Amino acid sequence: MWFLGAVVDRSGLSGRWVEDHVADRAALARMARGDHDGLAELYDRHARPIYSLALRILQNPTDAEDLVQEVFSQAWQQAGRYDASRGVVAAWLLMLGRSRAIDRLRARRARPEDRADERAVANIADLGPPPDLQVLSVEQIACVRAALGELPVLQRVAIELAYYEGLTHVEIAARLEQPLGTVKTRIRLALIKLRDTLAGTV
Amino acid sequence: MAGHDELREQAGLYVLGALTPAEQAAFEAHLATCGECAAEVRTLSSVAGALVHAVPQSEPSPALRARVLAAVGASPSTAAQRTIAPEAAIARDTASAADTTIARDARVAPDARFGPEASIVRTNTLAPWLAAAASLALAVALGAYAAMLRTRVGDLEVRLRQATLRADASERQVADARRTAADAQSEVAVLAAPDLARIDLAGQPAAPQASARAFWSRSRGLVFTASNLPAPPAGRTYQLWILTAQPAPVSAGLLKPDANGRVNAVFETPPDLPKPTAMAVTIEPDGGVPAPTGDKYLVGLATSL
Repeated sequence: MWFLGAVVDRSGLSGRWVEDHVADRAALARMARGDHDGLAELYDRHARPIYSLALRILQNPTDAEDLVQEVFSQAWQQAGRYDASRGVVAAWLLMLGRSRAIDRLRARRARPEDRADERAVANIADLGPPPDLQVLSVEQIACVRAALGELPVLQRVAIELAYYEGLTHVEIAARLEQPLGTVKTRIRLALIKLRDTLAGTV
Repeated sequence: MAGHDELREQAGLYVLGALTPAEQAAFEAHLATCGECAAEVRTLSSVAGALVHAVPQSEPSPALRARVLAAVGASPSTAAQRTIAPEAAIARDTASAADTTIARDARVAPDARFGPEASIVRTNTLAPWLAAAASLALAVALGAYAAMLRTRVGDLEVRLRQATLRADASERQVADARRTAADAQSEVAVLAAPDLARIDLAGQPAAPQASARAFWSRSRGLVFTASNLPAPPAGRTYQLWILTAQPAPVSAGLLKPDANGRVNAVFETPPDLPKPTAMAVTIEPDGGVPAPTGDKYLVGLATSL
């Protein structure tokens, strides 16, 4: 189960994100009727963040582009079944992107002990974000990005291995050659620091 | 079944998807019954949401747009599968892709599903065949045109990819340089700290040639250098311990000597760690242990500076 933040500007500066979300829903409805312009519109608004996330996870422009295609292909096929209660369209697309990218990463590692995890991730991918989505402003995301850069190196690396490489804490401990407890503590400290940064920007 | 406190510790790992499948199942079962943990997950999950957007933003190649729209649009969407026949999809594609005169012909296709126009056409028995032949010819011509375009797009994509890879390689070099600089900076930060303590460690009977020196500061962390450490046996690793006024040694981390037996490492230490009185390096099972069990290889007492 993934809780993804939706980018909605609550500062009232532009309201662009809210408008985008409404337009996204309309574009999906048109896609469900087989309208290609709806797809083009959705692509133009969201391909960049999805590609950027995929590139960060897969570290390879070719794979990242394939993944973008996979995400939009799935969005096209499921447009008619999209349920508004699943939350913001942008978050839905990004969640699909992250799950699929980590699926690929795990398949690439293709170690037998990863298979159980792989199935778990495949199941996660179909759940979709729950309705109680957190709403984040552009400013909050900028602050988290900055805060991430200011974390002690090992805390940041642990967070990144978990979120962008889909490693479990056991795998992270092995990769960083750190005791398990240390890894848990580092991730917890880092998340709390990021959360406080986020809370401070509301 | 783990206790509540232990499970609560897992909220962060859960939000990042870093629990093992078994742990995740157990945590979700707990989550259903524990409001406190659910609240913890909710606040931490906003961080995960932000992490999605915190990656460096880069633009996909312009060719990808055409590729996605062509590949995705070629398959019917959910609703379209139920209501539009495949021929209709071709006619619709041609209407947007071809010039308008041809497109007008294509729309006069012989199928009741196309709406009122079609029933008018049906009065002339030849018209459906002519229209079908026209769409077929059109489909073939468009197919050839599309194949040519695909080749050109493919060629451009290859060139773009090569350029992107070159750019990536230079970015990686910059990142490497930045990392080296950051490591050097944290070493300098420790060495310049006002609350600095120095600990010289001497080789023990297990490694009489080995020696090491550590600099520690509560605010800045720990810099550790060692030389002449023998390579650890398979399945074993060196672990560095900090001894304080408290009875239990605190693990600073694992040490991995290079081929020459040298270690150069920077560690963070907990902010509430009492001032070290001594340090020791022991040999332990891979992955490290919570308390020292193995032979001591290096030991030293703290000197205040």
